[in-house]
Amino acid sequence: MIDLIQTLGAGLLIGCVYGLLGLGIVIIFRASEAFNFAIGEFLVIGSFFFYIFYFDLHLPFFLALPLGLVTSGAAGALIERLSIKPLLGRSGLSMTIITLGLGSVLRASVQLIFGAHSYSFFIDLPDITLELSDLLFPSERVWAGGLSLVAFGLILFFIFRTRWGVAIRATSESQAKAMAFGIDSRFILLLVWAVSSMCIAVAGVMISNFGALSYLTGIAGMRAIPVVLIGGMDSIGGALIGGLIVGLCEALVGSYVEPLGLVGFKDVAPYILLLIVLFIRPYGLFGTVRIERV
Amino acid sequence: MLSVENLRVVYHDVISVLNGVSLKAAGGEISVIIGANGAGKTTLLRAIGGMLDIYEGDIIEGDIKIGDSSVRGLDSTDIIKKYGLTYVMEDRPVFWYLTIDENLAAAAYSRWDGAVKADMEKVFEYFPVLRKLRDQKAGYTSGGEQQMLAIGMSLMTRPKILLFDEPSLGLAPLITEELFRIIQRLNQVGMTILLVEQNAHAALQIGHHGYVLEHGRVVLDGLSQALLENEDVREFYLGAGAKERKSYQDAKRYKRRKRWL
Repeated sequence: MIDLIQTLGAGLLIGCVYGLLGLGIVIIFRASEAFNFAIGEFLVIGSFFFYIFYFDLHLPFFLALPLGLVTSGAAGALIERLSIKPLLGRSGLSMTIITLGLGSVLRASVQLIFGAHSYSFFIDLPDITLELSDLLFPSERVWAGGLSLVAFGLILFFIFRTRWGVAIRATSESQAKAMAFGIDSRFILLLVWAVSSMCIAVAGVMISNFGALSYLTGIAGMRAIPVVLIGGMDSIGGALIGGLIVGLCEALVGSYVEPLGLVGFKDVAPYILLLIVLFIRPYGLFGTVRIERV
Repeated sequence: MLSVENLRVVYHDVISVLNGVSLKAAGGEISVIIGANGAGKTTLLRAIGGMLDIYEGDIIEGDIKIGDSSVRGLDSTDIIKKYGLTYVMEDRPVFWYLTIDENLAAAAYSRWDGAVKADMEKVFEYFPVLRKLRDQKAGYTSGGEQQMLAIGMSLMTRPKILLFDEPSLGLAPLITEELFRIIQRLNQVGMTILLVEQNAHAALQIGHHGYVLEHGRVVLDGLSQALLENEDVREFYLGAGAKERKSYQDAKRYKRRKRWL
C-alpha cells in the first residue's frame, strides 16, 4: 500500500512537469495549428540559458531563473521571427514540418556550441524533502512539481486575465477576425512562441535538475507528445490532466511492470495508453471535437 | 472622406476580382454598395480595410485615400489606429469562445487609453440586450446578438469610418430593421458609413448615395433615392418593375456605355 502511494505521488510530481511541457505545445497549436516538434531543443536551450546564469555567473536561483526564462523567451521569439513568421497564413502543417527541420538545426547548433558532453546540474535549493513515515519524496522532485504548478498557474493567469491573453485567444480563433479589429496577429504569434518557450524552459530546468544536462536531454521533450494527444491538442486543462496521466502511467509501470523483466517498458507505456485513448476519443480526452465538411 | 480610385485587385496573382473600381464615400454620409454575388463587394471592403494580405490578394493598380493620404497597402492595424477606419467583416465576425465582455475587450486591444470601460458602457447603451449576456460565450448567442456584438466591437476601436459587409446576412427582417436603425444612428452621431448589402431595398432607404457593382466594376451610381427609382435597379436588385421577364443581356441599358468614373 505504502508502495502504491509512493508511486502515485512520484507520478503526480513528474506529471506536473509533463503538463507544463504539454502546455508549451498546446498554446502554439491553438494559435497556429502547428505542432512544435522542436520542443526538445527548446527545452535544452532554455536549460543552457539557465545554466549560464546560475552556474557560470553564480547568480542566486530566484534571479537566474527569471533571467534564463526571459532569454529563452527572446530566443523563442527570434526563432519564430526567422522560421515561422514567413509562413503566416499558410497551413499549420507547413509550420509543423518547419519545426522538424528546426529541431535538427538547433540540436546541431547546441552540440557545436556546448559540446557533446554532459554538464552536471544540481540546483542548490532549500531542502524540502517530504518524509511521511515510509513515504519519501526527494527534494528536487517536490521542487519540480511545485514550480511547474506555479508556472502553469502564472501562464493561465496571463492567458485568461490580461489584455494580451484575450488577444491571444482571439487570434487563436481566427487570425482574420483579430486583424479586422486591430489585433496585430504577427505580434501575437511572436508572443505565443515566447511564452511557450518560457514554459518549456521551466520544465527543462526541472528535468535537467534530476540528472545532468546535455544536448540529448531534449529527448525528454518527446514526452509532450503523449501528453497533448491524451489531453487533447487544443485544451489547456487537458495538458495538465494529460501530463498527470502520463506521469502516473510511467511511475506505475516503472514500479510494477518493469521489475517483471521488461526493462525500459516505462518509456513505451504512455504511447500504448495513448493508442487506447485515441481509439476511444480521437480528439483526446478534452479536445474539441471538430466537425469538418469535406 | 474615403475615395477609391480605379482600383484593381487580383487574388493569387491570377484571379482578377476588381477591374477598376472608383467610388467616393462622402464624410458623414451613408454610402451603399449593392451587387450580385461575386461582383467584388467583399473584396473591395477588404482592400479598403487593409485585409487583402491574409486572403492572398493584391492591389495591382489604383489608390485608396482617406482624406488626402493614401492607405493603399497599409495593414488593418495601422488603418484602424491612424485613420479610424474599421471593417466589420461579413458573417458576424465575433470570437465564439470568448465572452461578450472579452470580445469587446479584444476589439479594444489596439487602444491604451483609460476610456475602454466607458466605451463598453456606451456599447451596452446601443445594445441593451448585450449587457444581460456579457458573461456568455458569444458562440452561444443568437445571430442578431452576434451581429450587434460585431458592431459593438467595431465601436470599441473608436472609428470615424465604418465599413459594413452584409450586416443583415441570415437575420430575421425585424432584427435587420433594428440593425439598420442603429447604423443610421451611428451615422447621425457623425460616422461615415460604407454599407455593402444584398438587401438592396432596405440599404438604399437609409443610404444617401448608392453604387451598383457588377463584375468588378461600378456600373451605376447616384443618389439612393434615384437608384430606388431606376428601372434597371428595380428590376435586377429590387425584384420589381418588369411586367414580363426580359433576358439579362438586352435589358441592361447601362452596360452598353463605358463608364469612366
